[in-house]
Amino acid sequence: MEIQGYNMPEDLYYDENHFWIKVEGNTLTMGMDDFAQKTAGEIVFVQLPEDGKVLQKGKKFAKIESGKWLGKVLAPVNGVLLGVNEELETNPGLINQDCYGQGWLYKIEPMNLSELEGLIRGAAALEKWIPAEIEKYKDQM
Amino acid sequence: MEAKYDFERKYRDQVLRCSSCGFCQAHCPIYGLTLRPALNARGKMLVLKEVMDGTIELNDELVETLFQCTTCANCSTNCPSGVEVPEIIKQVRQDMVNLGTCHPAFTAMADVLARHPNIYAEDDKPDFGRPLNRKAEYVYFIGCVGAYREEDSTEETLSLLDHLKLDYTLIDEVCCSGVLEDVGHKINPGLVNRNVELILATGARTVITGCPYCFRTFNNKREYEALAQAGVKVIHLTQLLQDYDFGVRTDKVVTYHDPCDLGRHSGIYEEPRRTIKKIAPNFVELSHNRAEAMCCGAGGGVRGAYPTNSIAMARRRLEEVEASGAEVLLTECNSCVHNLANAKLRKHKFQVFTTTQFINRLLNKEG
Repeated sequence: MEIQGYNMPEDLYYDENHFWIKVEGNTLTMGMDDFAQKTAGEIVFVQLPEDGKVLQKGKKFAKIESGKWLGKVLAPVNGVLLGVNEELETNPGLINQDCYGQGWLYKIEPMNLSELEGLIRGAAALEKWIPAEIEKYKDQM
Repeated sequence: MEAKYDFERKYRDQVLRCSSCGFCQAHCPIYGLTLRPALNARGKMLVLKEVMDGTIELNDELVETLFQCTTCANCSTNCPSGVEVPEIIKQVRQDMVNLGTCHPAFTAMADVLARHPNIYAEDDKPDFGRPLNRKAEYVYFIGCVGAYREEDSTEETLSLLDHLKLDYTLIDEVCCSGVLEDVGHKINPGLVNRNVELILATGARTVITGCPYCFRTFNNKREYEALAQAGVKVIHLTQLLQDYDFGVRTDKVVTYHDPCDLGRHSGIYEEPRRTIKKIAPNFVELSHNRAEAMCCGAGGGVRGAYPTNSIAMARRRLEEVEASGAEVLLTECNSCVHNLANAKLRKHKFQVFTTTQFINRLLNKEG
């Protein structure tokens, strides 16, 4: 769905730091949402940790940068890093071009899928959340 | 005809002195990356000649040419005609800002520093777990990059200073704001006064800066004269460390990247090498070193305004590191280490550290 110019697919989970999570069988794919990539500007660096890294829910495991902005990537669930989008090493701009497709960031094996239940999902939640975020970050737009 | 712009009043002779020989093209990091003549010193001087002739105006169309420069001074260092390109560029940028035209990233930077104590608009100050503003012999001044982008490196530097039992204090520092004058704006007197007050209140006789740019700002900007007038000396961390023996060694092949602000701009080349060679007998030089060092691409505001090109320039520097066969790249500038680390690819097997970070790792047997 589109909310005030931001594309926010309803079928994805979102954490409060604007990373989307998609469930694909027993694997999660994680990326940056449209609001975040537009606010951050041109992404120039994505930290790509080694496969097998143990992730702790709520703890930082990577960082993403634009010219002056730095975003911490927090693990949405407890689990293990299965893979990273290696294309982003030399083409981090894929996040700006196609944040829900070719600009995906990480693949995660979750310990417990039920940990996703606390995340933002669905049209009603998005329609409440995004306008509040636009107001919160209006100075940075 | 009276000069229309300040850059012409101050530097007309130098702009005209440029013979368009193009020697600068061999040294310019932006030209080396893009091969675009307009982005190199020779091209910039040609453009400024046309501005002086009245053929073109200083306006938005010239922003890319005149704001995309790291002010690394590799051009002027090698210019047979003695054209001081970085000084001319900085003055042109001020003329453009006075006209109301500027790169949006730099306008944003001035706005940020009018409202926040650092260039990143971060309101949460980092806590390095050490007291602030106490009476001490030394003040350690971290700088914005060290505080907000390279916190791990700063923590390791502070651990090393603790290990050396240096009597130092941190202060509740704010941005030195020297960078504003590089990008067409004015140094922020409120920020300057805050730093000077805090430093003088500690009673410290020496300020150690972790950042070569802060080092230059404190030593060269007249707004910070109060420090010298009070007998406070400002040194860079490498000038302190050269006097110590750390009692650690590595057999790894180590090389060193000369930061532009420490090397070409401040003439500090040997002090870092003295420290490194004590701990790393297998030291090798990069093919472009000391006054010939290639810029990492972060300076002059370029990392904020042209980040893709900034990192691409850093990646070109890393090609030299790879060619040197070094296993470890050291530098002593948080901006350089940040840009170089961002540019490093997974295929690059060498590691990138600040010198103090590496010494700390050796002390902790992690190197």
